[in-house]
Amino acid sequence: MRVEILEVLQGHFGKDKDINVDSHMMDDLGGDEFDIVDVFVQIESKLGISIPEEETFDIMTVSALCEVVERHVGSD
Amino acid sequence: MLGQIKLVLFFLFLSSIGGVIWYVQHLQAENEILTLNNEKLNGAVEQQQALIQQQLRDIESKTAINEQITKNNAKLTADLNLANEKFNKVNASGERRDVGNLALSKPKSIERIERKRERQRARCFEIAQGSALTEEELNATKKSQINAECTNIANPNYTPY
Repeated sequence: MRVEILEVLQGHFGKDKDINVDSHMMDDLGGDEFDIVDVFVQIESKLGISIPEEETFDIMTVSALCEVVERHVGSD
Repeated sequence: MLGQIKLVLFFLFLSSIGGVIWYVQHLQAENEILTLNNEKLNGAVEQQQALIQQQLRDIESKTAINEQITKNNAKLTADLNLANEKFNKVNASGERRDVGNLALSKPKSIERIERKRERQRARCFEIAQGSALTEEELNATKKSQINAECTNIANPNYTPY
C-alpha cells in the first residue's frame, strides 16, 4: 500500500524528489495546501477508499499521510 | 423758354441729388447688414473653432482612457494567467490541477485553505500599511511557515527552493 502512496507522490511531485516517510509535502517536496488535497484525492481514487476530510486537515508529512490512509484501507 | 429749360434742369439736378442720397443710404444700410452678418459669422467661426478644440481634447482624453483600459486589461490578463498557474498548476506527471474539481471533491478542505489565504491576504494589507513583522514572520524560512500571499514583504528571510 505504501508503494501505491509513493507512486502517487512521485507522480505528483516528481520522480527526482527524494521521498521518504519523513518528507514534508510542503517544505521538502515543494507542494502547497492544494497539492496535499490533490494527493489525497488521487490516493482515494487509486486505492478505492474514502477518507473523511476532517482527518486530512493539517497533514503535512508522508508518515502522517500513510497513517491516515492505512486506517481506511480495508475498513471501507 | 430758357426759364423752362432751367427749371427742368434744376429738377433733373434735384432728382440726381435725391437718387445719389437714396443710393448712398441704401449702400450704408446694406453695409450695416453685411457688417452685422460678418460679426455673426465671425462669432460662429469662433464657436466652431472652440468646438473643434473641445473635440480634439475629448479625442485625446478618450485615447488616454483607451490606453489605460488596454494596460489594465493586459495587467488583468497577466494576473489571471498567474492565478491560473498558481491554482491550476501542472504536476510532475503533466496533469493540470483543477482547484474547481478539488473543491467539488473536498469542499471543506478547500474552504479551509481559502480561509487561511484570506487571513494571509488581510495580513498582507496590514504589512503594506506599515504594520511591523512578527517574530514568526521574520523567522519563517520554510514553505509551510510563510505567508503565501505576499512572501516578499511578509517573510524577508525566506528563500524559495
